[in-house]
Amino acid sequence: MNFKNILFLFILCIFSGTGLFSQEKFTLSGTISDQKNNETLIGVTVVIAELKTGTTTNEYGFYSISLPKGTYTLVISYIGFETITSTIILDKNIRNNVSLKESIQLLNEVVLTDRKIRTEIRKPEMSVNKLTIQEIKQMPVLLGEVDIIKSLLTLPGVTSAGEGQSGFNVRGGGADENLILLDEAIIYNSSHLFGLFSVFNPDAIKDLKLYKGGIPARFGGRLSSVLDIYQKEGNSKDFHMTGGIGLISSRLLAEGPIAKDRGSFLVAGRGSYAHLFLPLFNNDNSAYFYDLNTKLSYKLNDNNNVFISGYFGRDVFSLNNAFVNTYGNSVVNFRWNHLFNEKLFSNMSFIYSDYYYGLTLDFVGFNWDSGIKNYNFKYDFKHYLSNKLKLTYGLNSIYYEFNPGKIEPSGENSSINEEQLPQKYAFEGALYLDAEHQLSEKIIVSYGLRYSMFYRLGEQTLNTYENNQAVVFNETFQIYQSAEPTGTISYKKNETIANFDNWEPRLGISYAFNDEQSIKASYNRMTQYLHLISNTQSPTPLDVWAPSDNFLKPQLLDQFAVGYFRNFKNDAYSLEVESFYKKIQDRVDYIDGANLIANEAIEQVVLNGIGRAYGLEVLFRKNQGKFNGWVAYTLSRSEQKVEGRTTQETGINNGEWYRTGYDKLHDISIVGNYNYNEKWRFGANFSFQSGQPLTLPNGQYEYNGITVPSYGLRNENNLPAYHRLDVSATLTPSKNKGRTWQGEWVFGVYNIYNRMNAASITFQQNKETAVNEATRLSIFGFIPSVTYNFKF
Amino acid sequence: MKTVKYISVLLLAITFLGCEEVIDIDLSTAPPRLVVEASINWDKDTPGNEQFIKLTTTTDYFSNTIPKVSGATVYITPTIDNLVVFDFIEGNEPGIYKCSNFIPVIDQSYTLTIIYNGETYTSTEKLLKTPAIKRIEQYNDAGVLGDDTELRFIYDDTPNETNYYLQQIDDPYKVIPEFGIIEDRFFQNNEMFGLYFSNEFKTGDVVTFTLNGVNQNFFNYMNILLAQTGTNSAGPFSTPTSTIRGNVVNQSNFNNFALGYFRLSERASVSYTIE
Repeated sequence: MNFKNILFLFILCIFSGTGLFSQEKFTLSGTISDQKNNETLIGVTVVIAELKTGTTTNEYGFYSISLPKGTYTLVISYIGFETITSTIILDKNIRNNVSLKESIQLLNEVVLTDRKIRTEIRKPEMSVNKLTIQEIKQMPVLLGEVDIIKSLLTLPGVTSAGEGQSGFNVRGGGADENLILLDEAIIYNSSHLFGLFSVFNPDAIKDLKLYKGGIPARFGGRLSSVLDIYQKEGNSKDFHMTGGIGLISSRLLAEGPIAKDRGSFLVAGRGSYAHLFLPLFNNDNSAYFYDLNTKLSYKLNDNNNVFISGYFGRDVFSLNNAFVNTYGNSVVNFRWNHLFNEKLFSNMSFIYSDYYYGLTLDFVGFNWDSGIKNYNFKYDFKHYLSNKLKLTYGLNSIYYEFNPGKIEPSGENSSINEEQLPQKYAFEGALYLDAEHQLSEKIIVSYGLRYSMFYRLGEQTLNTYENNQAVVFNETFQIYQSAEPTGTISYKKNETIANFDNWEPRLGISYAFNDEQSIKASYNRMTQYLHLISNTQSPTPLDVWAPSDNFLKPQLLDQFAVGYFRNFKNDAYSLEVESFYKKIQDRVDYIDGANLIANEAIEQVVLNGIGRAYGLEVLFRKNQGKFNGWVAYTLSRSEQKVEGRTTQETGINNGEWYRTGYDKLHDISIVGNYNYNEKWRFGANFSFQSGQPLTLPNGQYEYNGITVPSYGLRNENNLPAYHRLDVSATLTPSKNKGRTWQGEWVFGVYNIYNRMNAASITFQQNKETAVNEATRLSIFGFIPSVTYNFKF
Repeated sequence: MKTVKYISVLLLAITFLGCEEVIDIDLSTAPPRLVVEASINWDKDTPGNEQFIKLTTTTDYFSNTIPKVSGATVYITPTIDNLVVFDFIEGNEPGIYKCSNFIPVIDQSYTLTIIYNGETYTSTEKLLKTPAIKRIEQYNDAGVLGDDTELRFIYDDTPNETNYYLQQIDDPYKVIPEFGIIEDRFFQNNEMFGLYFSNEFKTGDVVTFTLNGVNQNFFNYMNILLAQTGTNSAGPFSTPTSTIRGNVVNQSNFNNFALGYFRLSERASVSYTIE
């Protein structure tokens, strides 16, 4: 493929877009916010009724639309807010900032019909999972902990490897293939307590969106998905507090103006109780997590806004002081929104984020820490050229520092030798341009291109190998082994060790039959230069990230998706059906027995393979009425393969395709909410999934006095099917009316019929009887919970 | 580093919520394959001439008996001198092939030959040295809950070379031995130790600790084997399972490979009485 031609075509398209309009035009632009607290609103629909055209607000609440001179009816609508219809005489550029009023008495069924949830018909945007924070908060949850990632699992295409496993999997992709952004900063580990809860405090979150496919060019660096989360700015009108007391943790959020209507602050903290899960233990033990979200926002003037936001979260386990484990993410960022003119919006971000893992094992005598740090500069532009053409373009640069591990003696008596595994450095840069272009009343296309580059930098000393092969195949024993290095090469500070660059095209097209139904298709190519070095079923907190180099190749993904989208009965119902196919090149896999921790020569245990995933997703929603909710079904397959590099080599799993640990053939979720009256609200959530892939032993043998299960090909079997039903009831006391203190009780039951779902089946010899046993581990049975939430 | 073990300590937290149950499950069984347990151990301060090799086959996972292999021809020769032959003869015990004239020499290479069902299996390995166990330490308030007895079996790392060790603990309350495999990375030239915790020990109980020097290939082999037999062999933090290939090669029919391992080394062991 010749990329110069593509680039040329691309530019031609954009010019054809701009050239179409010679008529005199004016721009209507502004910011849309919540009247109550001045919080800007993301994704608000702005429609020009006469032209059947429109736009939506961006991540900072800004919209802009250019139209020929005239008089128009402007309709602004957003979920949970009253729709505003106004007449605009557009004879000059107009700045129109709008405050929306929350639909009062949300629970009143009459107003509920005003909530504007509907499937996006006209825009080419597809493969996106959106949930509002209100929807998330209504769903029944484990132990009463509202969890945005767990909520996303109820939508099609998103699964987790299993209960209590960390991360999430999108369309058959690995948990390390998700780009998780909190206020534009990268979060490296999204789980607390090994996946029981996610690291995001729902009170501090304004909006989130999960891109599973058709990913816009402004995102890159991960293969499977982008989870884009924005924190609230804080109330710039009045001081308020929000909080909750639950069985696992308590939360408190404070927000208020630092300058009335101009600046605001937000501080939110959440902490679990110490000794969590360790009720039987004595007082020298603790296990807890906490996180802190902060944000300062200030409006300098109509054209400039600045934001400073931060996140800090930690998990801490301490057992008898002999075992201390701490890990978590931290993020600090500074952003500046600047409006060059009514058509050109920009955001500049300076971001620092890191992930830290620390472990002390006093009985062995060592401290261990590892982690990743990055410094990120981004400059993004949104250019609203006309009502038919919108461009986004910008640049992104990230400098990474990887600490694969440092070990040091924990005391004087320790016989551990101190060792710092060589730190690694890398730079990732990208330039992108994306266009959303309305070709006709029925067809809108989006086309974009991202040019990404990656430099693995010194200072570092690296091994060299015969034939450049760090893994060799032992033909006699039919096993892969680490190669002996033949020598070393030293690179100076900032010297390039390896570099890569890739063109990543992104395409989308929608054809709307009418306002109610459309078909869409998309293609995206993604590159991932960072690898989470993990060979376990689901990632563990101590897994380290490693940059691409001459052995660890960047992973490349191509994804195609098609879909049918429809709203019925005046938006009361909606249906989305999508099908996707994706393939991955240079998928990382590991040789048998690879030791990944404290391995300073990861290349000696890595093999590159390929991956593929395909599936069908159906989402049917009932959007309105006292009873609302959805049914989501996903049929999919996720596989990978590592063939031998020569005909003598066996590859992994004999070079045959095998299912990944998170392959789920069937995945059904049914979520329902019933608003009984102003006092009571009920929710239910049923989920059914194929059991996790599993390798069953096909025999046993004895070696050195122990019995060993013998295994054949990987993941040929499944755990029993997983299913459970959760319910919740929310009580809003009637005395809330007319007072500032607003309280709410949430009663929930997780897994109400106490299904003992298998999280794993272990084959091992009983140590007391020496008899072989199959042991099923079920993590959560019937678990009741109660939470009290308040606001004042 | 035995990372997996440490993670399983963490898993404790999760397992507290969870519930384990022994279940019935139907499994298919692959055709039987020869299993070679050829561990030549030269106990320190003994002539080391009495040795045995055990031959069995794989069988149904839930079977209570392991099929023995009788009627095989088994012998070891020093690789440099194949005129010297140490024959291993099956006695009264089926599947156990004994030799009484074996001559162990440190750093000497040996070749094992097994002829079974008309197919010849061979393997060549070096006899490795093993450090002596220097001392044993006992602590009574150890472990996660502070109520475990901790035992440390301490030995000196063989200096200035990369070493791997196989450690074995025989606990009087367990019917099967507990194995550990360790490398001297991070401990080079220092004291190393085998670590064991139990909350069952009483004064007077006898615990046996056994140490063998092994090579890197065996270290990898045993690492995979232990990962697939231990408590962490399934679940979120487990690594993928696979057929564990050893070092015994079928020279007649390459694909009908044998499982198990041929290994030779000095052996240091100590029996410790709990105080």
